[in-house]
Amino acid sequence: MRKYIETAKVLFKAQLVYHFDILLTVVFTISKILLAHVLWGAIFENQDTVSGFTYPSMLSYYIISSFITQLDQSAGTGGQIAAEIRSGRFSKYIVKPMSIFWYFTAQTAGVSAFLLSFNLLAALAWIFIFRVDFTITVDIAVILSALILILLGLLFMMQMNYYIGILAFKFLDTSVFSMIKDNVVRFVTGSLIPLALLPAGIVEIMRLFPFYYVSYLPSMLLIGKNESEALAGIIILACWNAAFGILNAATYKNLKMKYDGVGI
Amino acid sequence: MVVIKTENLTKIYTRFEKEAGLKGSIKSLFHREKITKTALNRFDLKIEEGEFVGLIGPNGAGKTTLMKILTGIISPTAGNVSVLGYVPSELKNAYKKQFAIVMGQKSQLFQELSAADTFLLLKEIYDIPDTEYRKSLDYFIDLFSVSEYLNVQVRTLSLGERMKMELIAALLHNPKILFLDEPTIGLDAVAQKQIRSFLKEVNRDKGTTILLTSHYMDDIKSLCKRCVVINRGCKIYDGSLDMLFERYQTHKLITVSFSEATDYIPHFNAVIVEQNPFKLSLMVHSKDARCILTEMLRECEISDISIEAEDIGNVVERIYSDKGGILYEEVH
Repeated sequence: MRKYIETAKVLFKAQLVYHFDILLTVVFTISKILLAHVLWGAIFENQDTVSGFTYPSMLSYYIISSFITQLDQSAGTGGQIAAEIRSGRFSKYIVKPMSIFWYFTAQTAGVSAFLLSFNLLAALAWIFIFRVDFTITVDIAVILSALILILLGLLFMMQMNYYIGILAFKFLDTSVFSMIKDNVVRFVTGSLIPLALLPAGIVEIMRLFPFYYVSYLPSMLLIGKNESEALAGIIILACWNAAFGILNAATYKNLKMKYDGVGI
Repeated sequence: MVVIKTENLTKIYTRFEKEAGLKGSIKSLFHREKITKTALNRFDLKIEEGEFVGLIGPNGAGKTTLMKILTGIISPTAGNVSVLGYVPSELKNAYKKQFAIVMGQKSQLFQELSAADTFLLLKEIYDIPDTEYRKSLDYFIDLFSVSEYLNVQVRTLSLGERMKMELIAALLHNPKILFLDEPTIGLDAVAQKQIRSFLKEVNRDKGTTILLTSHYMDDIKSLCKRCVVINRGCKIYDGSLDMLFERYQTHKLITVSFSEATDYIPHFNAVIVEQNPFKLSLMVHSKDARCILTEMLRECEISDISIEAEDIGNVVERIYSDKGGILYEEVH
């Protein structure tokens, strides 16, 4: 376990090297909140609620879901895995006495922890300075459920992007898989077509996919909504994680045989 | 004790061939020509504990493929391989903790951080106890005199300094076997010499078995008593390095300076390397050297003579181009 904590620490430290990047990260977070503040402020000017959301709850949802989305850095890691396989640099991980999946997960966690700490500081400062009426549940069980969902969701995204990354053993170029994944995620989470426009049956089917529970549900839980879905979400995400765990282990074992380690 | 053993080790790569040009690219969308390349062909090798073995051969000979199989990076197509009693391709962590590989053109250090940060990570990855880690680190820092670079960002180090750090990173967990793939590539003469003396000391002090590939014959000559020559996937020599040179360094370079202008032409078989009225350089077969010198001393007024061993590059070329396959010397 200590080797993975140290890996996360090393990646955290690596992020701290670029001071300008840190500044930009903070500025980006603040500007996003500012934009949401202005945009939703205009929408809520003449009405108290929109689709059951009050202005503070909408802003809180936006801040929380942006956070969770930003915490997921696994797509970059998946791309890095594919690039390292293509260039032959992946060999350096193969010869290390550790689990390659958990190494990359720890690496991603290090980057996420960096973003979490600086973004959190920036957001808290913003909320405090502008006295944003931040809506958050006080129910400990719900907060705990949301945190479990966030962790399971990040792990699931890591597993999926790791899977796409190791496909480079066979296909070399995995960008098409990433593109398909991005489109599926957009569709299932409703960012391509609002879920409300789809037949109820299809929406129910989509709830069996993990993406609904990765950022949407935990954000809703934290602002005090959809509590009844928490348990189902945890079970579904745990099942998807288990399935991808098995798939990744089998795929790695099978595809690693095709690795030539070209370039060394 | 034998620590590395391969029997009939064979590796066949599958590649795809594509005709050049746009037409070829479009055609390859529908049909690709599959070709195979035998990188290693029934390769047998035994290395004893504590040996320092040089693995030489031209580009594409199969040296790196052998290294990759021995470290478990790739799996062989056929044959048996055992390293420290393990099958490398099974990639057991217990095995991985007992070897290290350094690839001259690949880095395991985090470029944005100091080498000390990477060393701390490696300490955890290899489960090195605190006292052992401190002891090893102090030993290598002292040996390489790198204390001033330890906390400097790796990307700002020179190639030589970086290579020293790479070697320390590889050796921190005291591996029983060290695989070195071109560790001195791109380094200047001073850094090459330092790396060589460092490796010699590690091999002697810690008894680390080292398998080294290098295109610099100076590396091999100054470090290895035993040498394995590989070409087209086959072993063409395995034995004493001195014996290899004795067999292949067949020519001498004789340079004579004349005290007066001379128009001498040797009567024996010799290649004129340089000639002017006051100087003559000849490449002659070692067995003819004595006769040629006697003849020159008899026929010319000589003011100075030098006899040098043949350039190492020519020797290597001759070794690689040998097709006779008669040089095989099994040392075990």
